[in-house]
Amino acid sequence: MQITETRDNEVITIAIEGRVDTNTSPQVQDAILKSFQKVNQVVLDFSQCTYVSSAGLRALLIGQKTASSKKGTMKLVHVPEILMNVLQMSGFVNILTIE
Amino acid sequence: MKKRSSLVAKFIIGFLIIGIAICTVTTARGYSQYKSYIQKKYNDIAYDIAEIFENYMTEEELALYMNAVEGYCMGKVSEEALEVIKETSEYQETEKLLYSLREATEANDIFLVYTNKDVILSYEEANAENWKPLTYVFDCYMVEELKFGMGQKSGFNPIFNESIVEVLETGKRADNYFISESDFGYNTSAVYPVMVDGEIKGIIGVEIPMSTLESALNEYIANSVLATVAIVVVFIVIFMIYMYRNMISPIHLIAHEAEQFVENDAEVSEKLATIKTKDEIQKLSESVLKMEIGIKEYIANITKITAEKERIGAELNVAKQIQADLLPSIFPAFPERSEFDIFATMNPAKEVGGDFYDFFMVDEDHLVFLIADVSGKGVPAALFMVIAKTLIKNQVLKGEEPAAVFEAVNNQLCENNKEGMFVTAWMGVMEISTGNLTYVNAGHNPPVVKGEDGVFRYLKCSPGFVLAGLEGIPYSQESIRLYKGDSIYIYTDGVTDTINMQEEMYGEDKLENALNIHREETPEEILKAIKEELELFAGEAEQFDDVTMLCMKYKG
Repeated sequence: MQITETRDNEVITIAIEGRVDTNTSPQVQDAILKSFQKVNQVVLDFSQCTYVSSAGLRALLIGQKTASSKKGTMKLVHVPEILMNVLQMSGFVNILTIE
Repeated sequence: MKKRSSLVAKFIIGFLIIGIAICTVTTARGYSQYKSYIQKKYNDIAYDIAEIFENYMTEEELALYMNAVEGYCMGKVSEEALEVIKETSEYQETEKLLYSLREATEANDIFLVYTNKDVILSYEEANAENWKPLTYVFDCYMVEELKFGMGQKSGFNPIFNESIVEVLETGKRADNYFISESDFGYNTSAVYPVMVDGEIKGIIGVEIPMSTLESALNEYIANSVLATVAIVVVFIVIFMIYMYRNMISPIHLIAHEAEQFVENDAEVSEKLATIKTKDEIQKLSESVLKMEIGIKEYIANITKITAEKERIGAELNVAKQIQADLLPSIFPAFPERSEFDIFATMNPAKEVGGDFYDFFMVDEDHLVFLIADVSGKGVPAALFMVIAKTLIKNQVLKGEEPAAVFEAVNNQLCENNKEGMFVTAWMGVMEISTGNLTYVNAGHNPPVVKGEDGVFRYLKCSPGFVLAGLEGIPYSQESIRLYKGDSIYIYTDGVTDTINMQEEMYGEDKLENALNIHREETPEEILKAIKEELELFAGEAEQFDDVTMLCMKYKG
């Protein structure tokens, strides 16, 4: 898995490439939390992401909680169908901002 | 011990070779110098004798004799004339003195001859017998019978030709000592030029034996070898003592202590610190000591780490076992109930995981069965699983509806959940008498149900949010009716997320197909078949997630 961060004024975009599983999810979580220390708007780009495990969902949940507590937003973009299914099945669609 | 003796032996052999070489060189050089010195001394004596002999004659007498013999050689003087000269009192007086001189000086021979270089240089190997360049004037050879009389001719060893010619030409003493060997040992000769009227007419020859030369040389060699050997031996002994104290002994100590270090289970040898040679050997010993201390610390460290790892590994195994023991695992679970058949398995991945299933009777007519997956792995997930399982069962046993159970459990799990862990769960409550199944879903994979038409299909569930995700989430419950022969299969994502060597996931379609292939079988057989199917699909690929399945068949 690879993470690429780009900053555009007050928005940080985190592009995730590959599998987010037990081993790699701490990196995603770290990237999200560190971004929220700098800005209030974080965009997660999943276009190159192939798989998200339950540990990855946990990283998203923690990210969303952090966004709520900071009155910021965490937005998921280019979510592939396979991940969308997981988000729907787990009910995450209802608490996350997905475009 | 072996090492020490070999080092000593090497030094001794080395010094012996050097000693022998020094001894040989000095003796050989001394020998040749001493030999040539002695030869010169003897040769000097021969010349002194020749000079003495010359002084026995007045210049006139010498000129008379030489000219007479010269004339005789040229045929101008008759043999009778020579006889007359031999009879003169002067000649006989000189001859007498000559004999006394030879006896006094122990010379082999003293003689005066007429010669010239042309005759000498006429030497030819083929004509050596007749080559007689010397014509005697006086002779006093120690063997009377072999003595030459005045006017008699003789040859000599032609190897001396060049030196004798040089003497005749220059009138100077030759570099050659004219060494010759006889039955009695080595002799040296003087070739002393004799002048008549400013012209070299002949030579006085004196041959003396160098009787003491050989014994003197032998003695010299013996003495010098003895002296050199003594010096070399003393040197070797002193040097070996020095080497032994300052090099060999410390090196041996280092080697010995290093061996001891290995044998005594890495016990640091304090003796190494006693080496104070203030050179590379001390440095070596300090390095070895430093290394020993380093190795000892390293071993201690490794031992500690290994012990710690083993302890943690053992505790994790216990945790894994405890976790497995928390799940109902005795089958058939309800042998007295013929209305349904239930079977469940959990195959944990390497670490302790967070999957669990549960089933129990609330009362005589209600069977509860559920499956759940805690996010993450390891001890935190395992602990969270225990809490979740306990809370759910407690809430169900209070008699609440499934949706109310999940709402309550969700709120309880959200308290103090700083780690952001969550649980996906699916729970069903079946009224055994009617086959009515009420279920609630908290973000879990939907079950696969074999209904009226006998085909396994995914059950549509409203996807509630995961447990412990957010406080105050509402859950909605739904229900279906099961009929005799219907089955329900629930699982965790470890099933569908099983990967093969190409990192392809097993997926939901394959699972549905597999279930339909085995749809007529008992729950136990179905789970076994799915497990085998997954193993076949995975091949050599390592699995990262727990695989948990539960199957319930309603038999009416």
